[in-house]
Amino acid sequence: MSAAVDTNASYLTATRGWKSWAYTLDHKRIGMMYLFGILGALLLGGAFALLVRMELWSPGQTIAGKDAYNKFFTLHGAVMVFLVIIPGLPAALGNMILPIQLGAPDVAFPKLNLTSFYLWVIGALLLLVAVFTGGLDTGWTFYTPYSLQSQTAVIPAVLGAFVLGFSSIFTGLNFLVTIHKFRPKAMGWFQMPLNLWALYSTALMQVLATPVLGITLLLLFVERFMHIGIFDPNLGGDPVLFQHFFWFYSHPAVYIMIVPAMGVISEITTTFSRKPIFGYRFIAYSSIALALFSFLVWGHHMFVSGQSKLANMVFSALTFSVGIPSAIKVFNWVSTLYKGDIRLQTPMLYALSFLIMFTIGGLTGIFLAILSIDVQLHDTYFVVAHFHYVMMGSTLVAFVAALHYWWPKVTGKMYPERPAQVAAVGVFIGFNLTFLPQFVMGSRGMPRRYWDYDPEFQIFHRLSTVGAFLLGLSLFGVVCYLMWSLKYGTKAPQNPWGGTTLEWDAPTPPTVFNFPEPPEIHELYNYDDLEELPEGGWVRKPSTGAKSSSGH
Amino acid sequence: MSQPSHDDHHDDHGHQSRFIQHHYDDAQHQFDSGKLGIWFFLVQEILFFSALFVAYILYRHHHPEIYAYAHHYLDVKWGAINTAVLIVSSLSAAWAVRCAQLAQRRGLIACLVITIVCALGFLGIKTVEYSHKVHEHILWGKYFDPCVASAGNHLLNKGNNCPGVKTSVVWDGKAGKAKSGCLEGDYDQRPAEPGIQGKCEVVEVVGANRRPIEACEEAPGKSGGHGKPAKFPCYELALNPHVCPAGPAAMVLYGDHGHHGGAIEVKCEAVPAPAAPADAFADPTHAPSTGERTFAQQKPKSKHELAHEFASGPPPEHTNMFFSIYFAMTGLHGIHVLVGVFVFIWLLWRAIRGDFTPDYFGPVDYAALYWHLVDLIWIFLFPLLYLIH
Repeated sequence: MSAAVDTNASYLTATRGWKSWAYTLDHKRIGMMYLFGILGALLLGGAFALLVRMELWSPGQTIAGKDAYNKFFTLHGAVMVFLVIIPGLPAALGNMILPIQLGAPDVAFPKLNLTSFYLWVIGALLLLVAVFTGGLDTGWTFYTPYSLQSQTAVIPAVLGAFVLGFSSIFTGLNFLVTIHKFRPKAMGWFQMPLNLWALYSTALMQVLATPVLGITLLLLFVERFMHIGIFDPNLGGDPVLFQHFFWFYSHPAVYIMIVPAMGVISEITTTFSRKPIFGYRFIAYSSIALALFSFLVWGHHMFVSGQSKLANMVFSALTFSVGIPSAIKVFNWVSTLYKGDIRLQTPMLYALSFLIMFTIGGLTGIFLAILSIDVQLHDTYFVVAHFHYVMMGSTLVAFVAALHYWWPKVTGKMYPERPAQVAAVGVFIGFNLTFLPQFVMGSRGMPRRYWDYDPEFQIFHRLSTVGAFLLGLSLFGVVCYLMWSLKYGTKAPQNPWGGTTLEWDAPTPPTVFNFPEPPEIHELYNYDDLEELPEGGWVRKPSTGAKSSSGH
Repeated sequence: MSQPSHDDHHDDHGHQSRFIQHHYDDAQHQFDSGKLGIWFFLVQEILFFSALFVAYILYRHHHPEIYAYAHHYLDVKWGAINTAVLIVSSLSAAWAVRCAQLAQRRGLIACLVITIVCALGFLGIKTVEYSHKVHEHILWGKYFDPCVASAGNHLLNKGNNCPGVKTSVVWDGKAGKAKSGCLEGDYDQRPAEPGIQGKCEVVEVVGANRRPIEACEEAPGKSGGHGKPAKFPCYELALNPHVCPAGPAAMVLYGDHGHHGGAIEVKCEAVPAPAAPADAFADPTHAPSTGERTFAQQKPKSKHELAHEFASGPPPEHTNMFFSIYFAMTGLHGIHVLVGVFVFIWLLWRAIRGDFTPDYFGPVDYAALYWHLVDLIWIFLFPLLYLIH
């Protein structure tokens, strides 16, 4: 490749050929490759979800037997958790946006960033190997001792999750150093966009929690491979120890999913309300608080696993405390909406859906933190509905919101607004139709992970299946019109939504090093500085002076 | 490989090392970023090891007897030498950083070579230790079976230990060996298993088929000295009067695992009492009720004798877990040492090429930090595994 690259050209067209993508160190291109990989994985995980829902259309066998059903829900969980929602916001969209929001030319370690991406690819391939060599039927949690005995492809799946863990760790490490070392002098910690606070908390959890999953999966791998016995009761080991190790990672992992979603929602809520965010510092601190609490609550997954009463009570109390930072955020978002000039464009529709569904998901989490109630609801559809409201109704919806919010910036093309609004409503209705009935049947005793059920649950299962197909159809529509817009979309203005963070001061699409000149730092979330153009998009009013030396 | 535009910017920093990447402000910015990155990486490493330390603490808390018993089978001498080797390598790694800062290229190369040699030495010693364990079948989990000779014969069938109820010994005079039976008294701490109560088989002594053992003999000098047995003792009930003329006794079999055609060394000892093995010999009241014909000794014992007896009591149940944890911890640590070797060889190659300048020595610094952590983890592992009291 020659050295004659115009660094002031769009990052998409500055160099050409597949090698210019495969070897790229540009965070935006890496993010874009992640995005396409993740959308592919989303379709795969979604297909497994629809297979699960089809099997549950009627009691007894519908489309496949119980063994196939076990594989469907396991692969749905494993693909969605490890390939889609954990890397979705940080690795794909965070990668593209984080350096630009900092006004930096790239992440701190571009080669490490590319390494993370290829680790993701290797992990994804290993999971695919598992899918095509006998599937996996342990549940995405790989609980011992069953995962030591299962005849399915546990070894490639565990290795895949292990490799994906390191992809996640290196991304987190990269983001932490980038935020520490690449913040412009004029941007103090409290002049950072809230999205960066969220990504910072997320990265902290990625670096601190994921290694524990790494060693746990490594031990499980060695256990399968060499019978080391640490988790095998037959050899004197302790299978519950696996659960502790697993949830020591996987509870923070839930926050790795939700906290960046909260960052996105903070940005979108304020931008589309044309109002400064309410309670900036509280939202920022509550992201850090969530990162800290996330490490102290893993035991609530083991209330019925023979944990001591004392441990149960402590974990229950700590779990309640998670409600505090979560509620702080919700109240601040609602206060931001209050008396705002609300624009119901697609990202905002998803953000409002998030507010409703996260509230439901969060409150039902409080129910489950109550020991006496959890004993009843443990391993029922109530739990399934609860965590889908958080993981899917909140995280994935925020991912789709972010996708629409930043799509014009990173592709240079507008998506078609009307179909997008229709799809957003479809996602909202489809999602709630899928999971609200699951709360009801869970509270009536429908156990999770069962392929068969009593006829009295049929109406709820059918509603759920219809909702799932509506949801799947809507999301498939989203993928379709986004791909369509890459070729046929109208050219995006530099600042289509009137955002105040730095990425809207960068060219659309950004140049190779994001900004031709180091950007000026403006006051964050001050919408008075901007005026709307009649042809679409927003510009800064000429009179507003830049605040390059101090924040607000 | 790298994005072509990176090269354009080198002219801007003509006075700096060519390894300063374009997106950093200057050399200091790159160095500081790398340093923060490596610190986060080390935090990650600590958490990676943490689960193993937690497992260690948990199992030790639940089964202190396993740790007290099994650590005798680790050789403190080799562990101590390895500790010293790693500390020297840490010193040379730190010295290498200083040399790089001061642009002392030859000093840097020498320090890196010392570090690599020490790291390889550590791995060599670890290989010696491991191969010894492999030879003795003192391995992890399922493969912990020191009582199996290489030929596959059982010196001691662990499933056949008498649960501790009184039954008569059935002696097959024709074959010249015991058919079945248990001794009175708790031979083993194992709780009685309903299925085999009172009917446990006595296992045939390996080698007896080939070379019948005619008499008990003490096996002097086989204890490895300093109270640390060189071989893992496998217990067998010696019921055959031809084997142990003094009467029923636990016979310690030191399998040599195939070196001499499956032959074994035999040493008769009184049947250990159920309590902690350390007390078994010290307290004659715990000796089996077959009374006067046991080997319970009355005379005071030396410290070394006691230590040996402590170690040579019957292995507690799930002794394998100690070795699972030993191999998991030292194995993961060994992989880190191996990675360090490759990193230092890479640095050596770059140092010979003259890449490092006072402006650009980050990789040496980061590798040294990594190496100190690897060293530090060993400094925890050594006492936790080898020096248990």
